[in-house]
Formats: sequence, structure tokens, C-alpha cells
Amino acid sequence: MPGILVYASVSCDAVSMPTREILGMARAIAAKTGEPVSAALLGAGVSSLPRSLIESGADSVYVCDHDKLGEFQVNIYLKVLTDIVAAVNPRILLFPGEAAAVELAPRLAHRLKSGLVTDCVGFDVREDAVVFTKPVYGSKALAQMRIAGPTALATVRLRTQEPFGPDPNRTGEVVAVQTALDDIQPETRTVERVEEEIFECALEDANVVVSGGRGLKDPESFQQLRELAALLNGAMGATRVAVDQGMAPPSCQIGLTGKIVAPEVYFAVGISGASQHIAGMSGSKYIVAINSDPEAPIFSISNVGVVEDYRNVLPTLIAELRKALAR
Amino acid sequence: MHIVVCMKQIIDPEIPSGEFKVDFEARRAVQDQGEPVLNPYDENAIEVALQLKDRDKDIKVTALTVGGESSQKVLRRALAMGCDEAIWLKDPAFETLDSAATAAVIAKAVRRAGNVDMILCGRQAGDWDMGQVGTLLAEELQIACIPMAYHVEQKGGGFRVKRETESGMAVLEVGLPVLLNITNSSTNQPRFPSVKGVLMAGRKQIPTFSAGDLAIDAEIPKRVVVEALTLPRYDRQVMFIDGEDGPEKAAALAAHLIKMNLLK
Repeated sequence: MPGILVYASVSCDAVSMPTREILGMARAIAAKTGEPVSAALLGAGVSSLPRSLIESGADSVYVCDHDKLGEFQVNIYLKVLTDIVAAVNPRILLFPGEAAAVELAPRLAHRLKSGLVTDCVGFDVREDAVVFTKPVYGSKALAQMRIAGPTALATVRLRTQEPFGPDPNRTGEVVAVQTALDDIQPETRTVERVEEEIFECALEDANVVVSGGRGLKDPESFQQLRELAALLNGAMGATRVAVDQGMAPPSCQIGLTGKIVAPEVYFAVGISGASQHIAGMSGSKYIVAINSDPEAPIFSISNVGVVEDYRNVLPTLIAELRKALAR
Repeated sequence: MHIVVCMKQIIDPEIPSGEFKVDFEARRAVQDQGEPVLNPYDENAIEVALQLKDRDKDIKVTALTVGGESSQKVLRRALAMGCDEAIWLKDPAFETLDSAATAAVIAKAVRRAGNVDMILCGRQAGDWDMGQVGTLLAEELQIACIPMAYHVEQKGGGFRVKRETESGMAVLEVGLPVLLNITNSSTNQPRFPSVKGVLMAGRKQIPTFSAGDLAIDAEIPKRVVVEALTLPRYDRQVMFIDGEDGPEKAAALAAHLIKMNLLK
């Protein structure tokens, strides 16, 4: 019986939300094909997590718990994952669209002599294959792609799939994977690591995101955005251009290449709406755009728009909201 | 030391969605819209290579592209920016390659060139955004691959690579040969070609290699097949806030957001 294998990632000692999303996608495919869903779990001290994967939709969990897997090292992870794929022999292999998985997936595809669709946002189960939907040309078009090869690999954009469950009554099998890792060394050595200061709350989890773009004149303007974000218990974001100009840190970059967010409310300040940026925020529930150019493309995807120089808007907006919210 | 920078010519990603045209039959963008450009991340990659060369004149930088007649332009641009040589992999069979086939073709050219120490690729191309060619090329060549890199410097006998991580950055020590997938940063904004550079680039011979030259005889199979290309639909209707001036509009916007109960 061909099956679906899901690469599970761990965040804060728990199964990550992106993993639960692709398990939801796997279950939706399995509902049509009747295939079993397996999960591959790699890490150090992860032996308590298979239960949570089963509750979130896995029928079986292949777990490799090893000290050498404590920190992500692509060549070591690849070795274990290759063993798991050989054991499961899946027809479909899904990865969450996170940095580690995005690094693993092409290399695994190469080893399997198969193809990979990256940044997939949807799927269609056909008789002979699963067809993946992927935004292309900066999200100005959508491509339907099929894999010609033994295993269809896909990385899935965050926040595009509904997670499954959790259902505490589900049962499943846990398989311990014994890959010999004594002799393998990391390909590269990390000599320094800098964690950026995270303001207020993590961008991807924020209910409100306040972003700035090319239209902002200076880094001080970003301080105003940060102030508005803090007032609304949200996070600050930026476009690629603003990051390139050094006005905002790279970890704030929202877009196709950057973070993908889908908050309750998104403020686009001085953002024209290049498709690269829209790809990272078009899933927001409510979009507020402030831009002096009435023709800016951002307005075409916004719920409410203000045609005005942001400098004439932000101070009053912040003051009025502070008053109304009594903060 | 020899650095190869892989580049792709793409349809201008700045074409607004309202004007963007799709060739539904061919399942790709209409090719002759706007002026094609060098993929922006590839420009960042060239800049990273040239910064290494700025500090060590013995470093040779070669720009490489796979593509049809018009892609000569991106090679000329790379030369004008300061690359020493260019390689053009040019064959009708190369015009519709998928990521895996592109990587396989470039691998053959790199092997043929010999003595390549470092390969830089833009993290992804702004047309199909597959983001795989660099990593697949490293697999083909069986060399280490660093994603999300944005800066490289020589340190002692080795190299230190700065890369973005999900929560910040990391500095890695790497040996050679190595492949780096380059992302944008304020440290690698591409330089403008000088007038002298443009003149020199115009005179330079660019060697081309066909499928035959690279000993590729069979048709290269596809691992990813595009079944259809469609246009997305956004069904939002924007409501503009009225007002005499900025502060008045701001107050009206605040009142609207409160009334909609959007802010908790």
C-alpha cells in the first residue's frame, strides 16, 4: 500500500504547528486515497512526542531519538531520513515550509531521483497522482504541478492547510529507527550564533502585524510602526526593500522570501504592494493600507485604505487608538 | 581561487499583476513582456563574489547562465559589474529545463571547467521561485551546501560564511569546495557597473557550450511537470477612508477599526 510520509518538526519541545498543518493535508489526501499516513520524527529527547503526532493524524511514527540530532545538521538528518524513506517507501512526502525542511527536501529528492514542488499552497487528488498548486511569478500566477518520479515531494507554505485534530482517541504504531550515527560528522561548523531581539511577540504568531515598506523615509519611522504594534500587542514587519535599505532587521522581512503571516489585522504602511510582499501577507484576515499613491497595488487587496502620507496619519492613529483602547 | 556564480534571466518581477500576461497554452508567462532582468538574488550573489575579489585580486569570478539567445544580456551585465569571465550554456534543449535538469546541466559545465572552488547561486529565481537549483547542483557535485548565506570572508586558511537563520544569524566555518545559496541583505546590495566595465564587457568573448559540447545526448527527463497555469483571484473590495487631512482620516480609521471590533 503506497503511503504518505510527513516530516515532523519540533518547536519548543512540542510538535510544531506547521507539522500539524501538513498532517492535516496528509489526512485530507488519505481521506480520498485510503493511504496510511506516517510521520518521521528526528531529534534528541523527543521520545514523548510520537503520541502527539498520532493524535494530530499520523497512523505510524518513525522516530530517531539521538544526541547527534539535538541540533539540526543537514547531512546527519538526511542520513536518518533516507533510512526512514527506505522503510516507508512513500508515494507522497510532505515537508513543512520551514528552513530545515527547505534544506532537506531538494537533497532528498535528488537521492530519490524524484521531483519536488516547493512552497505548495494547495493540492488536488487525481486518479493517478496528486497535483500540487504553487504560486509562481511572484504570486501573479498559480501553477498546477505534478511530479514525474517514484515519490512526489512537496514543501508546504505555512498557514495554508487546516491542522487535523488533535483527537485523543486515535491509535497508531511507533517504530524506533536505528541509524548508525557514530561515524558521521557535521558538514560545517557553526562558530557563532546571534539571536535577534524579538520585539513584543513573534511575527508569525502575532494577531496584529504593522509593516512598513519603501515609502518609509527613515529608520525612525519604523519606531512609530513598532509603537503602533506594541500598542496593539502585535509585531512589526517590513518589506524586502526596507530590509535591504537597513531600515528593519532581516527577521522582520515578510514576503515570498521572508516570513509568511496571516494575522487578524495587517497594517501596510508605505507599502506599494509588490507581488513578492503580497505573497507573504495576502492570507491576512483584514488588511489596512496607508499609502500616498492612490494607484498603489496594495489597495486592490486591502479591506480599508487611507490615501495619505503616513507621517500625517500615524501620530493621530496611535493617539486615537490608545484613547479608545484605554492603554 | 575560482568562483562560479550561476545566474538566470527572468521576466521583470516588478510587472504589476494587472499587466502580467500568461501564455496558458505554453503554461508559462508571455515571454516578450517588459525588459527581462537578471534575477535579483543572483545580483546579490555576484556582489558577494566581487566583495571577495575586492580583497584578493587572485580570485577569478566566472558568471554562468543557462538559456536562449536573450540571456547573453545578463552575462554582459555580470561582466560589466566586474566578473572576469562568462560561460553561456546555450542550446534549444536547455530552454525548458526543470530545476533538476538545470542542475544536472550546470554540473556538467562545472566539471568541464574544472578547479571550481566556490559556487554561488541566488536563493531562488523570481519567476518560478522553486529555490532548488543551487542545492541540487551541490548534490550533483557532492559538495557542501549552505542556504540563506549573505556574506563571505576569508579567515586564516578557510572561509567564514554568514547566514540567516529563522531567529537571527549564524557564522559558519566552511572548507572548499562549497556551494552557497545567497539571500539579500543590506551588506550585499549589487554595485552598479562602471562605464569602463560596460565597455570592457561589450568586447569580451563569451564561450558557449551546447548539449553536444557537454556530452548530453539523450533528452533530459522532467521531474516536475507543469499541468496548468492560472491567474489567482482576489475578491476584496477596498473601502477608502474620507477626510480633509491626514489627522482627520487617521481618526476616522481608528474609529472604524474600533467599530469593527478588530482590535483586542
